[in-house]
Formats: sequence, C-alpha cells, structure tokens
Amino acid sequence: MMAHRPGWFARISAGVVALYLLLPISIIIPVSMTDQRFLSLPKQGLSLQHYVTVLFSPEWLGSIWQSFLIALAATGLAVVSGTLCAIGCWRLARRSTDLLRALMLLPIIIPSIVYAIGAYRYFAGLDLLDRFLGVALAHGVTGIPYVVITVSTALAAFDPRLEQAARGMGASLSQTLRWVILPRIMPGILSGGIFAFIHSWDELVIVLFIASRDVFTLPRRIWDGINENLDPAMAAVAVLLVVFTTGLLLLDLALRRRRAE
Amino acid sequence: MSAAGHALALRGLSKRYGSFTAVADVSLEVGQGEFLTLLGPSGSGKTTILMCIAGFVEPSEGAILLDGRDITALPPERRDFGMVFQGYALFPHMTVAENVAFPLRVRKMGAAEREAKVRAALDLVQLAAFAERRPSQLSGGQQQRVALARALVFEPALLLLDEPLSALDKKLRAELQDELKALHRRIGRTFVNVTHDQEEALSLSDRVAILNHGRLIQQGAPAELYEAPRTRFVADFLGKSNFLAGTVQEAFAGGFAIGAGATRVVTAAAAPPALGSRALLSLRPEKMALLAEGETAENTVQGVIAGWSYLGAGYALNVETPDFGTLRVTLPTWNAPIAPREGLAVRLGWRAAASVPVLDDLDQDRAA
Repeated sequence: MMAHRPGWFARISAGVVALYLLLPISIIIPVSMTDQRFLSLPKQGLSLQHYVTVLFSPEWLGSIWQSFLIALAATGLAVVSGTLCAIGCWRLARRSTDLLRALMLLPIIIPSIVYAIGAYRYFAGLDLLDRFLGVALAHGVTGIPYVVITVSTALAAFDPRLEQAARGMGASLSQTLRWVILPRIMPGILSGGIFAFIHSWDELVIVLFIASRDVFTLPRRIWDGINENLDPAMAAVAVLLVVFTTGLLLLDLALRRRRAE
Repeated sequence: MSAAGHALALRGLSKRYGSFTAVADVSLEVGQGEFLTLLGPSGSGKTTILMCIAGFVEPSEGAILLDGRDITALPPERRDFGMVFQGYALFPHMTVAENVAFPLRVRKMGAAEREAKVRAALDLVQLAAFAERRPSQLSGGQQQRVALARALVFEPALLLLDEPLSALDKKLRAELQDELKALHRRIGRTFVNVTHDQEEALSLSDRVAILNHGRLIQQGAPAELYEAPRTRFVADFLGKSNFLAGTVQEAFAGGFAIGAGATRVVTAAAAPPALGSRALLSLRPEKMALLAEGETAENTVQGVIAGWSYLGAGYALNVETPDFGTLRVTLPTWNAPIAPREGLAVRLGWRAAASVPVLDDLDQDRAA
C-alpha cells in the first residue's frame, strides 16, 4: 500500500510547530557564546569563555554534582516503588487497583507549587528541610507517575500466558518476577527511570521551597543567577543541560526501538 | 524416559462465574499413560476444565485427584504438570535452550545435568540444531515442538495440551499430529489434550470426552463415539450425520423400526423404546450405498439428486427424499456406480446397524 503523502498545508504547519518548539531553546546557544559580560547576543565575535567559567567554577560544578546525585537517588526511589506498584496493580487487576493507579498520577496532576507547600509543612516537622534526603524524597515521589505510566504500558503488552507458563513449570512468584516479568518489561522500567531522572534534574519549584543553602541544585543556581546578575554562564549551563537531556531522550528512543524489534 | 504415567480423576467438577456455569458436574478418569482429549465447540468448558487441572482456575465444586491424592487446593507451581499453551507461550527473551532449561532452572538443577536433559529433550523433538535461536526465529511448527520439549523436560506427572495444533496450517497440523502420537507412544506419559478439531481428537486419542455447554455428553474410544453416538450433538459434532425422525412402530429382538410417512426404517438397539414414541436415528453419509436395479438392503429409500459436488476422493450428494428431507450421501469416486447429475432418481440402501438411535439433545441445548 502506498503511504499517504502530506500536502503543503500539513508540511508548513508541521514546520511552524517545530520552529515554535525549538526557537526558544536554540536562542540560548548564541547567547551562551557571547563575548559580552552580560546576558546578550554576541557582538564582535564568538567566545567560549562562559563555558570555561562554568567548568572551572566550584559553585556550578558543586550544583551539577548535587543535582546529579539527587536525581540518581530520586530515580532509584521512583523506579523501585513505581515498578512494584504497577506490577501489583496489574496482577490484582480489580477496580480498586485502577483507582490506585489513577491516584499514583496525582503528583503530575497537582500543580507542583501546591505539592511544594505541602512538602514544606511536612518536612519542617521531620527536619528534612534543606537536606539531600528531603529533596531526593520529594523528587522521588513526584517521579513515581512517570514510572507507573511506562511500566503499566509495558505490562499491558505482556502476554499473561507467559506468567502462567512459568508458574505451571514450577516457578515461584519471585522466580517468575525475576526471570520472566522483569526482563520483559525492562524497557518500560528504563524509560520510566529516564523520565524520573529528567524530572528531578530540572525540577525547581519544590527545591525553592524545601531547600535553601546546603542543597543548591543546578536549576536553583540558574534561577538565582537570573535574579541576581544576568551572568551569561547561565546560558552555557542551559546549553549543557539541553545537551544532557537530549542525550537521555535519545537513549530512551534507542531503548524503545530495541523493544519494538 | 520410561513409562511413568500417572492417573488423573475429576470428581463432580463444577465452575461457575457469577450466574454463568462454565463447567457442570464433570467426572472423568484418565488412566496411566492414556491420551485423553476433551473435545467440544468453543464455550463448551473444555479449556476451563484443563485450567482447573493445571491449577490456574479454582473449581467451584468437586475434586481433582492424581493417583488418588486430592490436589484440588495445590497451586499450579506445585503440581508438576507440563503444559503446552495455546500460542505456545515461549519466553521471547530467552533462546530455545534457555526456554527448555527454564523448568530445570526453577528446580535448581546443576548446570551439567541441566544441559544433558535440555539436549535430550531437544533431540526428542528434533530441534537440537536450533538450541541457540530465539523463538521468534522459528516457524510455528518448530515453536510448537520447543513448547513440547519444555513441557516434557522435567518429566512431569501429566502433560496438558491446550489446542496445541490450532495455530498451524492444515498440512503441518497433520504432520505434527503424527509426531505427537508417536511421542506419546514413546514416552508413555499421560496426556490430556483440549481441542475443537474433531479429526485431531479422533486420530490422536485413546479416549475422547465430548463436552457441550459445560456438561460431559459422552466419553469413550474414538471408534465407539463415532459408531455409537449417544446423542444428536455427538453424532453431529464428531463427523457428519443425517438424522431420521419417526415414530416407533415395531419392536423386535435386538432392534426396532420407525415409520415416517410411507417409509419404514429398521435399526439395531439393545433396548427398544416404547411403541408410538418419537425416535431419532443418526445415519452417517458414507454408510449408505446407491442400489442397482433389483438390489436389496435392510433399509431402502427413494430419492432424487438435488445437488452434488466432486471432492476428489469422493462425491457428496444431496438426495431429496419424501419422508426425511435432504440426505447427505458420500460415495468414493473410484467405484461410484453412477455419474451424478441433478434430477437423477436414485435408491439408497443401508444396513440396520448403520442407523443408530440417538437422544435428541437439541431442545435441551436451546433451553440451556
């Protein structure tokens, strides 16, 4: 069958939408290479001085490292609890589990500022404010929906007869989980993990509320930089962020392609 | 692998889902080393029974016994039954060898012993050369044989087969039928097979249990079921059959006669029904002959060919009769006494034993 080719209208609209999505991001690339000392487009020539600043500044590097560790811990939390929740709901498959699954999506439905205020109130009592653990917990919990969604999708495509076959051959629940179910849904778990990581990596609102001095993540430092001194180093950091995130998304794409095969 | 068949018994097995009864009071015995087939149309409860035996479905009532021991409450992973699933359910992320090794790995068998057993099982199904392939790289027939090897490698007490050949094309199906039968002979294990394919049931099984609407209608050796169906459903589902309805006119030793219109048909029966009652006879299309001028038979009926088709090995004729409607008759082509043509008047003849009295369970079905 011949594929239906898009007409000129569809092509132009697609191009406009792509530009609309890409332009605001791509503007930071020339800005990051400005030869000026403030946030602006380059005047006389291109310069990489702001990249050098970022890569040799203990503050920026400290924030990058902190963000990375927090994202890693949050991803671990989100992946383990999200996967277990999705598998549990899938196995029980009752109306109540559908409700539970919907409930797990709350963190992406509720505005994060509302969530941040709640977390602030709670964490104050638990002495978790401005702590690595506090931010990792908050990011981990708000990352769960991404994992629940991708793992539930992977499980929907899982042939339940494989589980029956495994049990029929004498496999216990944990053997079935380890040898049959987990390998089959691994692409979904990895996908969810990547999204949970990105979520924590660029999360700002919650951090603004529950962290102040000791925990100073990368998005927080960019935010402060914009408020205080319009340092072009921020643009350089932003470019690095975009490259890193794009890399993660490409990884996700590659994983999905492998699963499709 | 030696003859290590186990005996299975179902006692009054029932399964209800809400107000729907999937299986109603089924009792069955499967002897050591026997090949039993549960045969029925879709929705007859045959797969539910198999799932109860495997342990995936909990019966509402009744018991399942293995060698006299009640296993009804045992979870599937502790029953030690091999199972070939519909669509095979091979693990796509494992190689053929890993698939076959799975039940051994679950039992924590040592690597050396495991390898030897996997090789023996793959040899058994002639797939040793494919050990390192993935299931997706195999044909349907090969996948089916991997599923068999995987189900047999741990020497299960019982082998359960859920429509094992339904996904294959006709020619391959016939080939694998022969293989399955030979395999059963060779290893002497007890097999329980589920199918809706009556040919498969007849050719493979030592015994067939026919189910409809969750009830066991009749069980017995394939020939017994084919030659002496107890009900209209059995006669119709297992092979093809004509049905002659009439009133009992005469009873004699070893048989009775029914009348319909001007025609009288005699049949063999141990216990004839009451005179004047309605009776139904099943008559297989291949058990009738076209009679030549002056030739006689225990039963004869006049008719006209209303339609016919050529089927290679045989002709299928639709013969219009005054008292029994259209009768389906098959004749072997190689010695057919006539060249069929529409409108030709013929005389059909058959032996008394060929028309078998059956219970008319059609009304019962409509009520169910």
